[in-house]
Amino acid sequence: MTTRIRTLAGDVFFPTAALAVAALCWWAVAVVGDVPAFVLPAPGAVVARLVGNPTLYVHNAWYTLEKVLYGGSVGIAAGFLLAVLVAYLPWFRTAVYPYLVAVRVLPKLAVAPLLLIYLGTGTETAVVFVALITFFPLVLSTAAGLERAPSAHRDLLRSVDAGPLERIVYVDLPYALPDVFAGLKQSVTLAVVGAVVAEWVIADRGLGFLILMGSENVRPDVMLAALAVLLALGLSLYGTVVLVQRGVRRWLGLEATG
Amino acid sequence: MIDLADVTVRFDDVTAIEDVDLRIDDGEFVTVVGPSGCGKTTLLRTIGGLQTPTTGRVRIDGKPPAAAQAGADLGFVFQRHTLFQWKTALENVTFLRRLAGEEPDETDARALLETMGLEGFADARPARLSGGMRQRVAIARALHLGADVLLMDEPFGELDEITRDELGVEIRDVWRRERKTVVFVTHSVPEAVFLADRCLVVCGQPGRIEADYEIDLPEPRDANVFGSRAFQEQVATVRRTLHEAHDRDRERDLGRDQRRERDRGRDR
Ligand SMILES: Nc1ncnc2c1ncn2[C@@H]1O[C@H](COP(=O)(O)OP(=O)(O)OP(=O)(O)O)[C@@H](O)[C@H]1O
Ligand SMILES: [Mg+2]
Repeated sequence: MTTRIRTLAGDVFFPTAALAVAALCWWAVAVVGDVPAFVLPAPGAVVARLVGNPTLYVHNAWYTLEKVLYGGSVGIAAGFLLAVLVAYLPWFRTAVYPYLVAVRVLPKLAVAPLLLIYLGTGTETAVVFVALITFFPLVLSTAAGLERAPSAHRDLLRSVDAGPLERIVYVDLPYALPDVFAGLKQSVTLAVVGAVVAEWVIADRGLGFLILMGSENVRPDVMLAALAVLLALGLSLYGTVVLVQRGVRRWLGLEATG
Repeated sequence: MIDLADVTVRFDDVTAIEDVDLRIDDGEFVTVVGPSGCGKTTLLRTIGGLQTPTTGRVRIDGKPPAAAQAGADLGFVFQRHTLFQWKTALENVTFLRRLAGEEPDETDARALLETMGLEGFADARPARLSGGMRQRVAIARALHLGADVLLMDEPFGELDEITRDELGVEIRDVWRRERKTVVFVTHSVPEAVFLADRCLVVCGQPGRIEADYEIDLPEPRDANVFGSRAFQEQVATVRRTLHEAHDRDRERDLGRDQRRERDRGRDR
């Protein structure tokens, strides 16, 4: 019990202390070093931004989140579907898989301006872009995961004449879960990146747009405040995936060990 | 009745079994023993319809194995890795029957687990069970399926000798009560003799049935059998057959290699 408390205290204390030291250094450079606020605002100034006009940040966070949710859902659904096709249709796999792997090295961000031409400056562009960027990591890891089940399990199901759907649901999918969630974690992280980049390109609204405006008006305090909100958004999404994974593992009766 | 006629199974570069003819009557306990790689697993999978023969014909009660699969009439026990980690022992036992489209019976499943010496572990997940206990669950699962034919591929392969003997006694006991048709693959000659009514010695590459022994031992088979003279004699016979076949195969292979060498020399 004592060791548990001590590690818990350590787990909380050291990161908090590190954060405090970093903030102190930041403050020292900004205030004691007398750096002008348009170059490096003091920590207090950033907090004042957030507290002074919370609706601005909340609204823009919502706009960004919207793009993440719509685009992410589409990308994840499409990625999952494609992974199933790749895993179960050999001809489809042969036809498509090499390209899926090859496209991995393509920086997806470079596609954004192209979408601008095809889809215009509306939210659709951002949604499509987020979908595109979340899609790839999920396809590859899920397709790999669906092959992980030991062949004896498949033999067992075949020995009672169970169909392919039963095999997918009861055997392949449970074994694929770690890979599916690994893919999802990458996907949600990239979804936020995608939403911000899309907002730079279509310049409509959202945290990315706020950062863009902050840059044009030389307002690093606004930019840093928006970044802080973005960080919180990204962490919450990631945390949600972790929680869902833990829930699924508990539901399946597997110990929460990874 | 299981009936194999002229069955050959060929993979890309190897022939696993060749021209196998085999009839197994209802209610027989048949063991299959032979060296590694001689096609025992292939034979079992072919009987159970998991492997389609390249040539030849497999019939179970006059119908192709697929019919037996559909009728939940084949209970497989594999060497390992076949319990669902995310289900309890009991759920594992009932689940296969549900997959087979039959209504599971929890009382029966619990009773089977108890028969297999697993009382108190019905709600444990496989991760908490030892290797021997997991195999007991797998056997209970095959029995709960209600299949008339049990196909077991080295089910005790990874267990220590004591546990093997124990489970052997239990399996034979269950068989005596339920009179299933059992085909049981093993590496171990004493195990093959102890369990069997009939012991098939499989040898060679491609595999063939080298010998087909009736095993004559007193019932019930329990630990006393191991010490008996009849048991030891029959173990010795099977073992001798295995060694002789092995030596013969090796001589033939050596002879073939020498001939090849000679031919190559002549070509030069
Ligand atoms: N799916 C497969 N593809 C290609 N070759 C195979 C396949 N299954 C088995 N073989 C080959 O067929 C031969 C017989 O294999 P099998 O697994 O039936 O032997 P076994 O008697 O069960 O061996 P062990 O005692 O080691 O389990 C081996 O040479 C093996 O390499
Ligand atoms: Mg084998």
